Amino acid sequence: MADPLLPSTRINLEKATVLVLDDNGASLDILSQVVSGFGVKQLFRAESVADAQALIRTKTFDLIISDVQMPVTDGIEFIEWLRKEGGENNRYVPVILVTGHTRTSQIFKLRDAGSNYVVAKPITPKVLLERIFWVAREERAFIECDSYIGPDRRFKHEGPPPGTDGRRKDDLPAEVGDAQTPNMSDDEIANLMRPAKVQI
Amino acid sequence: MTVRKFRPPNRLANMIKERGGILAQDALVAAEAGVESLREASLAALDETLAEIERRFGKGAEDREHEPFEGLYLLSSRIIDVGHFVSDTGVDKAAVSLCTLADSLAETGVWRWDAVDVHLNALKLLRAMGAQLPAAQRDAMLEGLYQVSHHRPDEV
Repeated sequence: MADPLLPSTRINLEKATVLVLDDNGASLDILSQVVSGFGVKQLFRAESVADAQALIRTKTFDLIISDVQMPVTDGIEFIEWLRKEGGENNRYVPVILVTGHTRTSQIFKLRDAGSNYVVAKPITPKVLLERIFWVAREERAFIECDSYIGPDRRFKHEGPPPGTDGRRKDDLPAEVGDAQTPNMSDDEIANLMRPAKVQI
Repeated sequence: MTVRKFRPPNRLANMIKERGGILAQDALVAAEAGVESLREASLAALDETLAEIERRFGKGAEDREHEPFEGLYLLSSRIIDVGHFVSDTGVDKAAVSLCTLADSLAETGVWRWDAVDVHLNALKLLRAMGAQLPAAQRDAMLEGLYQVSHHRPDEV
């Protein structure tokens, strides 16, 4: 798992090309100011999915931040399009979706849209920078199949869903079997954790 | 079904750790300053949105039963968009509750005007003096709104 973002962590986004998409001008301004503050020089703004799609056809992006609730075409449909038809340069780009509210009918759609992260509005610089740092450092695999294209949704390694055997070859059963070797002694456990001076 | 599992190159990962750049704490200060420069414009946008909600969905709106549920939902979500500037008033949380209500109304296809009206009144009150209200009183008001927006008459 990626290291946490500390105040003293150095980040370099000067060369990153970022697309921010939001139909609400006031919200787009806030997002743009935040991203610019992080040192991004190549920032592109779009107020509709159509504008964003036009940009994606002509430029290569390193990060996309998109609103979810938009008229005509929403952020979920946009990400689904991006993952399928965004071109080889942009299909796998990290995507952070931002939303002030999730409709009941959209909870599963949002999970399955193919974004790397969903951040709640109102946006705060601290949360957004943490998430950008997270998606830049994460090592999640990408999944591509008929029903889903995007980062692996199962990244917490909590095993297959309860009551199922799992679908993957590396899924382990939820039940733990009998121990195959004797329990370790307290001393053995303590030795595993005891700090020791080493010569480098 | 064929499932392809792979690790595409992450350009952002390589860039973010390149030499140079800025400290995270400095990035946050710069971003906060940028956001703060938008305070006045954002509050003006918020007040315009509140006025539009009142004009289209308030008690005085002549044709409000013919307005789309989606209209109320999108306007409420616009309040949340700039809610950073009014987080001390409770307006942002009341707007979340109004979104929940609009979503619920859209599902049933029936307006519950008493529920809408109580949200609009609360939004006006919180915008005007939410920051001056004792926290317990403000929280109690928001809790009441959540109960209203999560209420499902058909499940009683």
